[in-house]
Amino acid sequence: MSDKQHTLHSARRLGRLMSRYYLSSRYHSLWGPLLRRPLAWVTSGAPVEILRVFGIHPFYPENYGALCGARRASLALCQAAEARGYSQDLCSYARCHLGSLFSPEHAPLKKLPPPDLLVACNNICGTVLKWYEELARRLRVPLLFIDTPFIAGELEDRAVAYVQEQLRAMVEELSRLTGRRWDAARARRIMGLSNEAVLLWREIRYMGRHRPSPLNAPDLFIHMAPIVVLRGTPQAVHYYRLLLSEVRERVKKGIAAVPGERVRLLWDNIAIWYRLNRFFRFFAERGACFVTDTYTGGWDTEMAVREDPLESLAEAYAGIFLNRSLQFRVRQMVELIRDFAVDGFVMHSNRSCKPYSLVQEEIRRQVVEQTGIPGLVVEADQTDPRAFAEETVLNRAQAFLEALAL
Amino acid sequence: MSYGTGSGELHEILEVASSAPAAWAARYPGRRFLGFFCSCWPEELVSALGGEPLRVLPPARPGSPARLPAYCCTVARGCLELGEKGTLGFLAGAGFAHACDTMQCLGDIWRYAAGMPVFYLVPPVAPLACGAEEYYTEELSALYARLAGAWGEEPREDALREAVKLHNRVRALVGRLEELRAGLPSPLVAAVLRAGQVMPRREFLRLLEEALPGLAARASRPAGRRLLAVSGAVLETDDFYRLVEELGGRVVADDTCTGYRHYAAPVEESLPPLVALARRLASRPPCPCRHLGLEARARYLLQLVRSKGAHGLVLILRKYCEPHAWDAVHVAGALRGAGVPVLVLETEGPVVGEQERTRLQAFLEQLSGGSGP
Repeated sequence: MSDKQHTLHSARRLGRLMSRYYLSSRYHSLWGPLLRRPLAWVTSGAPVEILRVFGIHPFYPENYGALCGARRASLALCQAAEARGYSQDLCSYARCHLGSLFSPEHAPLKKLPPPDLLVACNNICGTVLKWYEELARRLRVPLLFIDTPFIAGELEDRAVAYVQEQLRAMVEELSRLTGRRWDAARARRIMGLSNEAVLLWREIRYMGRHRPSPLNAPDLFIHMAPIVVLRGTPQAVHYYRLLLSEVRERVKKGIAAVPGERVRLLWDNIAIWYRLNRFFRFFAERGACFVTDTYTGGWDTEMAVREDPLESLAEAYAGIFLNRSLQFRVRQMVELIRDFAVDGFVMHSNRSCKPYSLVQEEIRRQVVEQTGIPGLVVEADQTDPRAFAEETVLNRAQAFLEALAL
Repeated sequence: MSYGTGSGELHEILEVASSAPAAWAARYPGRRFLGFFCSCWPEELVSALGGEPLRVLPPARPGSPARLPAYCCTVARGCLELGEKGTLGFLAGAGFAHACDTMQCLGDIWRYAAGMPVFYLVPPVAPLACGAEEYYTEELSALYARLAGAWGEEPREDALREAVKLHNRVRALVGRLEELRAGLPSPLVAAVLRAGQVMPRREFLRLLEEALPGLAARASRPAGRRLLAVSGAVLETDDFYRLVEELGGRVVADDTCTGYRHYAAPVEESLPPLVALARRLASRPPCPCRHLGLEARARYLLQLVRSKGAHGLVLILRKYCEPHAWDAVHVAGALRGAGVPVLVLETEGPVVGEQERTRLQAFLEQLSGGSGP
């Protein structure tokens, strides 16, 4: 199996795109004040389209946490945070990020661009609120918080109205902070760009339905970066057009992400960033391809077009999958398993992400019952390597693959 | 120990506080209990429909139910164990008020693991945010209708007003006990407060009313003891309080989820009851799961320590409890900065081990104010 078949050519373009994003973030202090464009640290599920209307440059500490993991800088950063009293049981993205403030010498990019404001939305977990409260106290910058009530059943009108009210207040506050006015037409254009990128990303992910699959989970994890940090920009749309065309070409030529694909798997949860390639290579070497996953699909939901853009945003951001019930997630996994003709699934029981992980065993039981395919749960952490017993996990993975007759 | 007038009533309260959940159905036959897990659950809605709100507390030494991973707090694991084993089979349902990520997951799992109806309530995380009160009032109204529908009752406003009065009377009476707290053994007060969350409220009210004069007569100045304020999540047994007393301390302020925080802040009786219940969320002592501002909890605890004359503050951290672990860094720093000694005590469960005992002992010894037992 050659490396050419593993790596998408677009990866180089992606590298350049992300480098430009990180460089522009890093040197924001040189251009931001001149152009009156503040910088905000934002959570991955925050309604970034609103920030873009006001010319605010968003920087994503969660994405940065993943970067710290992928570059194996996370352990030193986590320990730096723990030395300041933050428990080892807290989210490792948060510990990495806080650690980078305390020990910038250990951090990728060294000193992060200081924020003018913080924007947190709890549609992915309760942790982000506590993390951003801590940042706001330490950095003494305003915190704008959007509360999206957990959806135990269906998304209720009262929850959408509540989120919409908060977005209205956020718009007023941003107007005050930036001296710019809310422009609904510009908001619609930015939301249009978000939707365009989202649809392209969805189509790319769905290419995994082909047999053999042109994509493996690490491809999805690497190429999801623009949909998170550049959502609402022409750059994201342009990049995903390029990627889609390459993936289509792969399908046309029958190029497999995992040559000799014999088993098709689904991955559940965030990646194990510090072992991203090594971990998935173990499966690939045995002919197993992760043709789909639940995590990168978190950014493939398009926004409905409503007269008031804030209503569309409220509905979209309140309704993301991590803010939904176990029942919703079971349904989602069962659909993915059927749509992608999956033979088995692997769940990463991720110590850092409780809302994702604590319900996994019940989800596993129900999915196995409804689909009849086997599921394996492996315990690790997204960025803290101390929580990953590699040998034990790979032994279990080996047994799982053998049971799938590989 | 006898507490004079009302001693029998007090013993009855303490008996309930120490009894296992399996005994409750037999003790109160024919009652419709609804289990709840978080102190922001609106008990009034249950009482208004003729039910009895009952706080589900985990066993002191929980097992490891397979549905939850080991990196989950023992409160969730212990409660799930009770649910899975059918120990709570006498409940007419379980009420989950959304609080932390872990309880959100437990509520989801409960639907499948415990074989009883689940009633989910999602209070705003930011009760002071724009639109929060309107949203929460509607959310409470929907819950009231769901509960009533499930039990074949009418969701009446007059019944809700009566329930508000009943629970406010409980709060007022517990408030009187709170005034005596410094003069009474810490485990005794903790047990009474716990009983008030599990036994039928009218019975609790009657018994506590009878017991209070005797308690008032026995309350004495805690001479020579180091006075502590305590804050944390759930403490389902008296072990910690007993240890404090053994080591020469006294809990004079209890800001735990199962302590006075559960009772603090009455519901405004002059307002429409659902609006008043919604407003109570913002007036309760700050909980790490709600956003009431960046300094609200530290300010509240500092004021609590000062107003109760505590010599120090113990922040109890339940292993894997994220909201409290997050707050501990800031709260401990802020209070230490204001000159208050703070001990952050991490425990696996409610049973305090030797290591924690040594840390608590060292902390008490460094506090000024008392001379030990």
